[in-house]
Amino acid sequence: MEYDVTIGIEIHCQLKTATKMFSGAPTSFGRKANTCVNEVDLGHPGSMPQVNEEAVRKAVMACTALHLTIDPLIKFDRKNYYYSDLPKGFQITQQFHPIGRDGYVEIDTAEGPKKIRIERIHMEEDTAKQFHLSKVSLLDYNRAGTPLIEIVSRPDMHNGAEAEAYVEALRQTLYYIGVSDCKMEEGSMRCDVNVSIAPKGAAHLGTKNEIKNLNSISHIGKAVDYEVERQKQLLEAGEKVMQETRRFDEKTGTTIMMRRKEGNVDYKFFPEPNIVPIRLDAAWIKSIQDAMPELPSARKQRYERDYGLSEHDINVLISNKEMSDFFEQVVKYTKNAKSACNWLLSDVSAWLNANEKTIDTCELKPEMLAKLIGMIDDGKLSNAQAKQLVDDLMDGKDPEQSAEEKGLKQVSDTGAISAMVNEVMDANPQAIEDFRNGKDRAVGFLTGQVMKKSKGQANPGLVNQLIKAELQKRIG
Amino acid sequence: MIAEMAADKNGAEKRVKEAYAKAQEYQSKFNDVITFVDPEEQLKDLPAEGLMRGVPVVLKDNVNTKGIRTTAGSRILSTYVPVYDAEIVEKLRKAGAVYIAKSSMDELAMGGTNLTCFTGPAYNPWDTRRMTGGSSGGSAALVASGVVPMAIGSDTGDSVRKPASFCGIVGVKPTYGRISRYGIIQYASSLDHVGYFTRSIEDACVTLKVLAGRDDRDMTSSNREVPDYSALLNSDMHGRKIAVLGNVIKNISNQETVKMFNDLMDQLRAKGAQVDVYDFDENLMRAILPAYFIIANCEATSNDSNLDGIRFGVREDGEDMAEIMTNSRTKGFGPLIRRRFVIGSYGLFEENQERIFRKAQKVRRVVVNAMNDCLKEYDAIIAPASGNIAPLINANEDQDALSDENLIAENYMAMGNFSGYPSITVPMGFEEGCPIGVNITCRAFEETTMFDVAKAVEEITGYKDLQAEVK
Repeated sequence: MEYDVTIGIEIHCQLKTATKMFSGAPTSFGRKANTCVNEVDLGHPGSMPQVNEEAVRKAVMACTALHLTIDPLIKFDRKNYYYSDLPKGFQITQQFHPIGRDGYVEIDTAEGPKKIRIERIHMEEDTAKQFHLSKVSLLDYNRAGTPLIEIVSRPDMHNGAEAEAYVEALRQTLYYIGVSDCKMEEGSMRCDVNVSIAPKGAAHLGTKNEIKNLNSISHIGKAVDYEVERQKQLLEAGEKVMQETRRFDEKTGTTIMMRRKEGNVDYKFFPEPNIVPIRLDAAWIKSIQDAMPELPSARKQRYERDYGLSEHDINVLISNKEMSDFFEQVVKYTKNAKSACNWLLSDVSAWLNANEKTIDTCELKPEMLAKLIGMIDDGKLSNAQAKQLVDDLMDGKDPEQSAEEKGLKQVSDTGAISAMVNEVMDANPQAIEDFRNGKDRAVGFLTGQVMKKSKGQANPGLVNQLIKAELQKRIG
Repeated sequence: MIAEMAADKNGAEKRVKEAYAKAQEYQSKFNDVITFVDPEEQLKDLPAEGLMRGVPVVLKDNVNTKGIRTTAGSRILSTYVPVYDAEIVEKLRKAGAVYIAKSSMDELAMGGTNLTCFTGPAYNPWDTRRMTGGSSGGSAALVASGVVPMAIGSDTGDSVRKPASFCGIVGVKPTYGRISRYGIIQYASSLDHVGYFTRSIEDACVTLKVLAGRDDRDMTSSNREVPDYSALLNSDMHGRKIAVLGNVIKNISNQETVKMFNDLMDQLRAKGAQVDVYDFDENLMRAILPAYFIIANCEATSNDSNLDGIRFGVREDGEDMAEIMTNSRTKGFGPLIRRRFVIGSYGLFEENQERIFRKAQKVRRVVVNAMNDCLKEYDAIIAPASGNIAPLINANEDQDALSDENLIAENYMAMGNFSGYPSITVPMGFEEGCPIGVNITCRAFEETTMFDVAKAVEEITGYKDLQAEVK
């Protein structure tokens, strides 16, 4: 039987602000437990929330980048429930008046580009972090009160790849505009994926299951695919899909039930009385929107237009903002953008991986990479020679200087190379005989011999060209 | 009195220590203090100048004081020591005031009797068989017995203005947002006001100057400039238009109180004021108490969710987290509080919220609109702050809770909390040797008008620096 798969995603994203959503305490990651807190974060009696302007600014940026309509009247509500990670006994959120409504993000799918609609974005505060040990639970309130936006999609996705592409598109966008670190592995971006299936063409959606604990984008597709298959098998076996919250288990690649949902919890939402509605000035919103950093989609178009890079290369480059930013620095010093891109995605990336560094923690200088590219383009270095300079280059050294120190330079003098070609041919008559008998590999053999003779410094293109000419002459 | 004290720089230490000793001496009579605060350290740290330099004051025990136990009158918070000072504590200290005690209050400020404090009832200094009224009863008693010239209270329904009436002193609830609520243990955030007691209008003016002003930590606090209330005080009533709340007068059965009030109105007229009887829709007046009760309890059940024995509050044993919370809350709160939480929670349930909580808020808006209509024409609304003197603590009279006398005459002052408009109670007269007050409410941020009318009343009655004789 064929099924319609429906996927909706809720994303919680920590905003990159110096202080918390409703207090002046610093935000933090990886700091000593319970050191980045004040009486507001700890929900002390008598404390009151103060709305963080920077968080609102970042939420406005997120709404703008994702094409949502901004509600200029900011209001907050209380979500009431008792839980140990919730200091006040309620969470301040925007239930009734989210800051943004009705936007979208564009993703690439196998069938071409597709718009995934976003229902709403609202601001809220994060909870404390819990560590459950065998006998006790520990609470770290550093995270409590960290500003969050929750981004709720429409159920517009239909397979794991689309779900992955959606989250990746959001991650890139939010990261590019600087509103969040978007680190799924550290929890600064958290996804809850709702999956349901129903027989093809059915009028109603099936029962949905929510998958949590997805801490990398690649898990999303796996989790969705597994979940779809699981639900299919249940339906084929004549069983019912129960409404559950499930978590993705990395080791087995499966989803595991955490709890069954029985009816909706009543959170008794009501307007937060300690925050008066805040009217955002239209000029303020406009000033934020006018100063928006470049979005990844715009950068993509620019790379296509200005540098003629391949779609694949652009996608790889864009997916790493720091690398892409570095690329922009390099092309200030060289016109060969294609080569700059190749170097960054191959040798530089390989070196960074091997040395556990990132482009912004290594010593590589954009102008030096550009210089190296220039040396190759000018025929002063062969590609093979250039590769020998990668370590030095990555240590911040000038490639010209290292080439000299290593005695690396390319010989492009036709006379000198011709002399070596003749010497090698004279010494290898059999190779000429082979070539006469149609064995093309003789050319490779001879080229290797010449390169050896030149200690690798001969321009290989030139060598190849001259050998072919000489062979034709000799068998002619 | 406050101005004279602040001017007498050399007398500061002696005065504060005497007040501290007196509070301790009176404790066995009035039981109006929860925690005494040794003033020694604050005395060492007095500013050179200040509107309240060296003036002993008292804080209601829902005002957070760093390092000093703050209980809000509840057993569950009986071990709570705040890590920060309320904004008004900082303001008082800056002005040179020295707080000597944290006063008794109804549990979590919910109640009008001051009988529900975990340390027992506070007793009225005019007649210790009688209640002080609540919820700021301890503070009222400490001012009425002459221990301090000023004590902080809080007013969510009438918790400053009612005890002021019962204790024969001035009780002020300024406009919502005039004084920061940061650090006051909340009852119902949209109705809560910081208020205070004094024994004269002059002292009330000085005190508001000290307490008022924007605080960025309380987003509901106002940016408006704080006027010099003392300098602006003007009791000339010519051209003033005052509305007598007819519904209240009509529903007071005690004719002695009605006569006392009417006489006062005649004297205000003699001072040049235009005083008219103004009737609100009686049904609307009847709806004030129920609407207040719903809004207050709904907000309270959420505000006090942190008192669960895990984060805050005395922890009781339990098998798991849920049981610890349940046991801590069951044992930590008095029966009245538990009942109010159940009602508040019920009103917030999704299936009830529109019908109960949201409806109460609509009633609130209609009441405020009616007040606005009245205050378009009149500068002030006036009525007795209570129909009778303070009730006897052991009185077993079963007053009908749903009678108009209770709904309207005894509980109308919550309209000042609905609107947030400034409201003051001033002594009006005596019955059976016990005081009774009159209440005046004005337009938002028109505290100056409120003080002017109150000053005129004070001049008429002569009840300035009225103090109970402590035997």
